[in-house]
Amino acid sequence: MKTRANVLLYNVIAVIVGLAISMALLAFMHVNPFEVCGKALSKIITDKYNLGEILVKATPLIFTSLAFAFTYKANLFNIGAQGQFLMGSIVAVAISLALQGKVPTFVLLLIVLVASFAAGGAVGGLIGAAKAKFKANEFLVSMMSTYVISNFMDYLLRTSLQETKAEYMQTDAIASSAYLPNILPGTRVHLGFVLAVVVAILVSVLLNHTQLGYQIRAVGRNPNAANLGGINAGLIYIISFAIAGGLAGLAGLTEINGVQHMLLREFNASIGSYGIGIAILANGNPIGCIFASLLFGFLNIMGTTMGRLPGMNIPASIIELIEGIVMICVIASYALRYFVDNRNKKKQMRKAGV
Amino acid sequence: MTAPAVELQHITKCFAKVVANKDVSLTVNNGEVVALLGENGAGKSTIMKILYGLYGLDEGKIFVRGEEVQIKTPADAMAKGIAMIQQHFSLVPTHTAAENIILGNVRGYIPIKNYEQKLKKIALEHGFDVPMDRPVGELAVGQQQKIEILKALYINTSILIMDEPTAVLTPQESESLMQFIKEFAAKGNSVVFITHKMKEVMEVADRIVVMRNGVVVAEKRRQETTEQELARLMIGQELTPAVRDASRDTTAGEGVLQFENVSLQPKKGTALLNDIDFTIHAGEIFGIAGVSGNGQDELCDIISGVRQPTSGRVLLAGKDISKESIRARNAFGIGYVPVDRYRDAMIKDMNLAENILLKGVFDKKWFNRGFIRHKKLNAYTNELIERHRVKANDYNDLAGSLSGGNQQKIVLGREVDIGSRLLVFNQPTRGLDMGAVDRIHHVIMEEKDNGKAVLLVSTELSEIFEMCDRIAVMHNGRFMGIYRNGELTTEQIGLLMAGIHFDGEEAAAL
Repeated sequence: MKTRANVLLYNVIAVIVGLAISMALLAFMHVNPFEVCGKALSKIITDKYNLGEILVKATPLIFTSLAFAFTYKANLFNIGAQGQFLMGSIVAVAISLALQGKVPTFVLLLIVLVASFAAGGAVGGLIGAAKAKFKANEFLVSMMSTYVISNFMDYLLRTSLQETKAEYMQTDAIASSAYLPNILPGTRVHLGFVLAVVVAILVSVLLNHTQLGYQIRAVGRNPNAANLGGINAGLIYIISFAIAGGLAGLAGLTEINGVQHMLLREFNASIGSYGIGIAILANGNPIGCIFASLLFGFLNIMGTTMGRLPGMNIPASIIELIEGIVMICVIASYALRYFVDNRNKKKQMRKAGV
Repeated sequence: MTAPAVELQHITKCFAKVVANKDVSLTVNNGEVVALLGENGAGKSTIMKILYGLYGLDEGKIFVRGEEVQIKTPADAMAKGIAMIQQHFSLVPTHTAAENIILGNVRGYIPIKNYEQKLKKIALEHGFDVPMDRPVGELAVGQQQKIEILKALYINTSILIMDEPTAVLTPQESESLMQFIKEFAAKGNSVVFITHKMKEVMEVADRIVVMRNGVVVAEKRRQETTEQELARLMIGQELTPAVRDASRDTTAGEGVLQFENVSLQPKKGTALLNDIDFTIHAGEIFGIAGVSGNGQDELCDIISGVRQPTSGRVLLAGKDISKESIRARNAFGIGYVPVDRYRDAMIKDMNLAENILLKGVFDKKWFNRGFIRHKKLNAYTNELIERHRVKANDYNDLAGSLSGGNQQKIVLGREVDIGSRLLVFNQPTRGLDMGAVDRIHHVIMEEKDNGKAVLLVSTELSEIFEMCDRIAVMHNGRFMGIYRNGELTTEQIGLLMAGIHFDGEEAAAL
């Protein structure tokens, strides 16, 4: 318990240090960082819509970070959350367009939920199978799969899924009967956020308290020992990648049916890579992924707000800089914590020894 | 009076978790052989690695020939004429002997033939017959060790440190090593000899330094001490060895594990196992003696199911299990303590309960509809910790935080409970302290008395003689023969281990 509090403390300090460095950078742009941040913060806090946007932005990030964190526990690297998310989105929009108005909203959303999970899961499962059967490097395969799927999506947007006007590379908007219900009036927060939190908790339970989760963790940490325990490592690779892919696929549901209501090119192009960073920030802990995603949702809104401050002339891309700096600080804090722990232990030993 | 070759004063060294050396002072004189005696983990390797510059020291001073020196790297040590031969050799297996010996001491163009000639001369001066132009990976361990020694001689070493040099040698090879050490010291050089084997100490050492828990507990001249006294100093307590009832005929029980002409032939190269045929009976400990790397690990792999034999059958209680999965074999009641527990038997960053679950992951009793029954598992783990006197707080300790002996007790406890019929131990006491060894030997005896069949692979002859009812000697993937305990002398077993039958005829090359 003590160590867990310790980890949290290090993380919080790292985030604060990261923000401080970022603010110092603002000073180089000849703006007063305190003034800018103060204004932006007050704008966010006083505006319910902006507060809600934090949750909206965090929702898909929770899923993509879980997609990385899940296989991370099995010592596998799923770099392809972006592709799995896009596959989920394609299926979500296709099914919504096909079934809207024909089945009740609840049934439709349930079908999309299962289908987008299955779509992302199929992509993930293939990556796992390539690893299990052909000893393919999952890192490369999952990374390249994103490009394949992204081009496949472009193809569909030009052909069967293209809008009826056939003008832009995008689909028709789905009908409001296929929307994920709003849960906070006056904002864009939808049921998907609740789903994300519930799924993160389920993932945590699955990993720590079930037979399957145990096998995944055992294979990840010591495949030889797991093998002697009778665990089929290849099967576990496939299953864990399929589940990870499914988690990313669920972000397709929340983004299509919850936010965008249509699929278009360059759809949420960077949530996959952010997911990786967030999962590392959370040290692969599913519950930690929720909070790390919220932090990044907040930073995202903060950046957008800063960019819109009148007369300040701050580029909105400043936020990518801030996010990067925060991430570096958190990762550095892991190394620092390891170093300090080690030194303390050594000191104790010497005291006890002499 | 000349200054001693090496003088270590008040050396203290801490690692993150342990005090490895505490205020250790040690002197080595010219022309003297000093044995550094102690159990594994006593700190003997650490103190010598400090002298050789592999570890930095936290406190203390080092003097070489009366002069205070700073030794920060092995290069510093070598410049002072200090060389160390590691327990695990540091040779490049694909390089030839000559290339290995000159490694790090040549620049630019290398006239390798000249070096080979020169090195051959040095080798012959010391009575070593080593082929200089063959890759060392192809040579026997005894030969490899000679190359390590030549490396030291080549740089004009006068202070030679050897870490457990006989661990991998046959008795005959050890004999010739002892001879070399005596001659080398007679020329005025110094040798420090790290070991935990009493016999060697009494044979070759002039002075014996006994270490325990990181401190020097005694210093004795060889003439002034006995093996019994040294053993007591080393362990710090009296141990009662497990007692074997030698009178009983253990082959009378029913056959539990049976190998029928089992071979393991890789697609390329020589057979790893060649026509292995034996039966282990209920209530019997069947020992496999041999220098490590002669097929013992492969044999265990075939029993556990990690590898499939290329021909022959394996039967458990009369049922052919050659094609069964590892999972099925675990369910049949085969317990297996592999040679490398870190690699094969435990997960360091999981807690003890989760490590117990490693072998029970398909056992329904630990699960309720797919959910782990933590309470039951934790209670069982705590009970196991108590039963085997594991030094741990409770089930929630990380396996990696335990000492080697306690980790092994956890693995052993788990396997003994799973292996209701057959227990396979591959060097279960390797690298453990005497207390843990004693406990493990008692457990193995108990399980035998409970009627289980036990296979014990060991490279320690004393362990084989103490524990086993029957002994097979393995060489090059073959059984050199199966004998009752008591039929063989140490000499005879040594010859068999080297692949030589008693009548002096060398085993046919495979």
